[in-house]
Amino acid sequence: MNTRKGWAFHAVMAPLTLLWVAPMAFVVLISIRSFDDIASRGTAALPDSFTFDGFRTAFGEGSMGKALWTSVQVTVPAVIISLLLSSMAAFALSRYPIPGRRAILLVMLAGNLLPPQILLIPVSRITESLGIYDTLVGLIAIHVGFGLGFYTFVLHGFMRSIPSEVTEAARIDGAGAFSVYARIVMPLCRPSLAALGALATTWIFNDLIWAITVLRTQAKFPVTAALLNLQGGYVSNWNVVAAASIMAAIPTAIVFFAFQRHFVSGLLMGSTK
Amino acid sequence: MTVAAASRRRRHISPVVWLFLLVPAAVEVGLVFWPAVNSFYLSLTKWNGLGAPENVGLRNYRDMFSDGVFREALGNNVIWAVGFGGLSVAGGLALAVALNKPRRGVGVYRSAIYLPMVFSLAVTGLFWRVQYQPDGTVNTLLGAVGLESLERQWLADPKTALYAVLVAAVWRQVGYVMVLYLAGLKGTDPSLDDASAVDGAGPWQRFWYVTWPQLRGVNTVVFAVTVIDSLRTFDIVWAMTQGGPYHSSELLSTYMFQQGFTFLNLGYASAIAVVIFALALLFIITYLVRTLKEEVS
Amino acid sequence: MVHSELSRRGLLAGIGGLGAAALLGGCATSSSDSGSGSSATLTLQSSLSDPSPKAALTKVVEGYTKTKVTLNTIAIESFRAQLPTYLNSATPPDVLTWYAGSVARDYASKGFLLDVSDLWTGSGACAGFSPALKELSTGADGKQIFVPTNYYWWGMFYRKSAFQEWGVRPATTWDEFIALCKAIKAKGVAPLTMGTGSTPWVASGWFDYLDLRVNGAQFHRDLLAGKHSFDGPEVKAVMEHYRELLPYIDPKGRSYSWQDAVTPLASKKAGMYLIGAFITQSVPKDVVDDIDFFRVPIIDPSVPVAEEAPTDGYFASARSKNVAGAKELLSYLASAPAQEEFIKLSASSNLPTSPRVSTAGFSPLVQKGIKLLNESAAITQFFNRDSSDELQSTADTALTKFLDSPADVDSILAGWQSAAQKVLNS
Repeated sequence: MNTRKGWAFHAVMAPLTLLWVAPMAFVVLISIRSFDDIASRGTAALPDSFTFDGFRTAFGEGSMGKALWTSVQVTVPAVIISLLLSSMAAFALSRYPIPGRRAILLVMLAGNLLPPQILLIPVSRITESLGIYDTLVGLIAIHVGFGLGFYTFVLHGFMRSIPSEVTEAARIDGAGAFSVYARIVMPLCRPSLAALGALATTWIFNDLIWAITVLRTQAKFPVTAALLNLQGGYVSNWNVVAAASIMAAIPTAIVFFAFQRHFVSGLLMGSTK
Repeated sequence: MTVAAASRRRRHISPVVWLFLLVPAAVEVGLVFWPAVNSFYLSLTKWNGLGAPENVGLRNYRDMFSDGVFREALGNNVIWAVGFGGLSVAGGLALAVALNKPRRGVGVYRSAIYLPMVFSLAVTGLFWRVQYQPDGTVNTLLGAVGLESLERQWLADPKTALYAVLVAAVWRQVGYVMVLYLAGLKGTDPSLDDASAVDGAGPWQRFWYVTWPQLRGVNTVVFAVTVIDSLRTFDIVWAMTQGGPYHSSELLSTYMFQQGFTFLNLGYASAIAVVIFALALLFIITYLVRTLKEEVS
Repeated sequence: MVHSELSRRGLLAGIGGLGAAALLGGCATSSSDSGSGSSATLTLQSSLSDPSPKAALTKVVEGYTKTKVTLNTIAIESFRAQLPTYLNSATPPDVLTWYAGSVARDYASKGFLLDVSDLWTGSGACAGFSPALKELSTGADGKQIFVPTNYYWWGMFYRKSAFQEWGVRPATTWDEFIALCKAIKAKGVAPLTMGTGSTPWVASGWFDYLDLRVNGAQFHRDLLAGKHSFDGPEVKAVMEHYRELLPYIDPKGRSYSWQDAVTPLASKKAGMYLIGAFITQSVPKDVVDDIDFFRVPIIDPSVPVAEEAPTDGYFASARSKNVAGAKELLSYLASAPAQEEFIKLSASSNLPTSPRVSTAGFSPLVQKGIKLLNESAAITQFFNRDSSDELQSTADTALTKFLDSPADVDSILAGWQSAAQKVLNS
């Protein structure tokens, strides 16, 4: 190992990383200040106070605890169902000569190309006519529907690279399609499933726009919508918003760190092996 | 797969496999395409959310092309696609290459760079708004190195607002692209790289001729993601400038939101959304059809 | 090979899609029929997400024991985006917070608001309210559709101790005001602070007031209704006065939100702020008692004095499943005790609409505000509440451009006029 290059590497990366981490430090600094301190000296000033009021208020009036639990209740089923359905579709499209499979794949991906904002009102009407408006089930359904195209696309690429000899051997042994799926292909996909799972968790957990569209009752809001409600139309208690943001970031950060191992070996598409 | 094997496979596809495809497809059609078709229909109407929409044919589209703000937003989107797309991909790739080899502290660096993705856009927007303020960090740093002449009100100056927001958006996106490329690099064959090093190839040559071709699969995903994300960027621009000052940082997505939800011109907003969709489709489909054709051959 | 596969499926998909489009287009945009049947609970959908008003409303609602009320507080921007969906739903929220003025009237004309005229007659909760408030709450068909519960005033806010330190006093005429600005500037302090960065509507505060002082309230209302031109001589006169203010406005305000711009005022780095009384929510606690205001200076003594006093309140959904309950909740919210409790807890210097609320216990600042409004000849709301959010956005564009390049005032006004016409004619 060239020690001179090693020193140069850290000399570049360390300040760069500090730059990246600076906003987080800023948010932490704001969260421990008092409202009066921010009001009198501005958001940019260094803290002149130290208090956990922001966190207390976020937990209490902001009901961050309940909102975090709601987010978990929405994210976990949505991720599991999304990955299940998209792996099924990817399996069918990648390993069976279904007519028009390339077109179908592209059409499914195209579903992700529309800006979500414009679908808000049709989605709210449709969930209402289906009877799932203002329910967590409705929110989960929307998340599943909107992720399917992209997840199918990525899993399709990974499944294509599984050699056909592996599945042929199973087929000759008499295994049906479902067995091939469950016992051979899915275990081989574990790394990319883990990676997609981590990404999907980040996206669904941090989603704001669907939560606001599908849900109307404040008690059912997940963390992102609850966070938005901490900002007023006139005045915002930035210390409370900052504290709540930190609490909201912790679960996704944990998931990311936990899945990181798989992350850096999972999202391949048609690798050269 | 040999030709013989392929023709043998064609005879029968079990119903289970059809089910595997049709259940997810049905879900997507019901929850995504059904509302999307509605949006296309809405783009031909004038509607404010209450009562029945009024059919106006292609008037929204005609109005769009004579709308100065729409044209400005379209131009900004081009700048955004090149700037945001280009910089986040270049930065993500560079960081992935730099942080790929196991080294002391590399895990910390990787995690730090991904961290922005985990934070809510409300506080991210606030942070950058504060940094760009007249007495904020950016101007203070410029003053400290003697560049006072470059100090300005970054978010209030129509000439710099868009680029100031661009920096913030790239800062956030780079971690995500880096992670995608890290995944791709892990799938490359290190023995090829070592072999060419032994043959005397320099680091840049090794990257361009050995590593880069192996990244083709990841590049497709990154391209798709970048195009989709750059056309859909909304939250960070809205949090920082709301498209201002006087529309100089307006993007199609922020304009669409303002038209649809602040002014309740839902027909016109839907027309803008259809344009966004068409642009994304154009890029993605041509690239993907070409790529998938290559893979088949 | 690929092409033939695509075309067969594509054709079928296309035909199916077109047929579906017509069918489904109707589906998602049609409003559902309200079925019969009533409910025993009430939903109050609130846009008051500011910390103190939210806490205040929660407390007030807790005091309502007749029916169970579910209070949902939604951030204002999301609330505004979802409001048509709320009103159009088959099971809408029963009571909603909103503003008096053209938006409420617009919804009423489309039949989405409950007729609450019986609250305004006889012994109804709003029967004693002023005629101006009644007029404000009346829809185009003469029926009342709104229940106002509080309003606030706008004025030139400043810190008493700061003025004492600088040896200056509030102004009553325009010339005195300019002299006051000069004096403060000589002390090295920005005379006027104004946060027009992420909250450009603040710039309309000065526009509205200058228009009221130069041309009067009737002209202002007519201007916003499209009866006068934005590039006519009257508005040009307004902009001439606005131009006089520019050297005294803190240039950093262009990067601030209205709330950020309060900090210089609180720390004595700026002199005055033309803003609404809600400013008291955002100053540090030890500064609140030091805050005072004076009336925006008179320019033309022959013009009847008008003030801006945006009015907030509630309306009910026409499709509510519990009409009787909704009306009772509205009566409760409009009642004197409820108004008093809300105002006390919300810390935002609001004024009650009910004459039965005793104002003796209110802070001196609020009592001064009441006096200000009582002495005015006319009251307007605010630019967006008197017209629409879309017209407000044309004002934001024009006025912020003017702040940056005042020399281009003629082309800016011409652009404003054409943008305004597009909005008013659509």
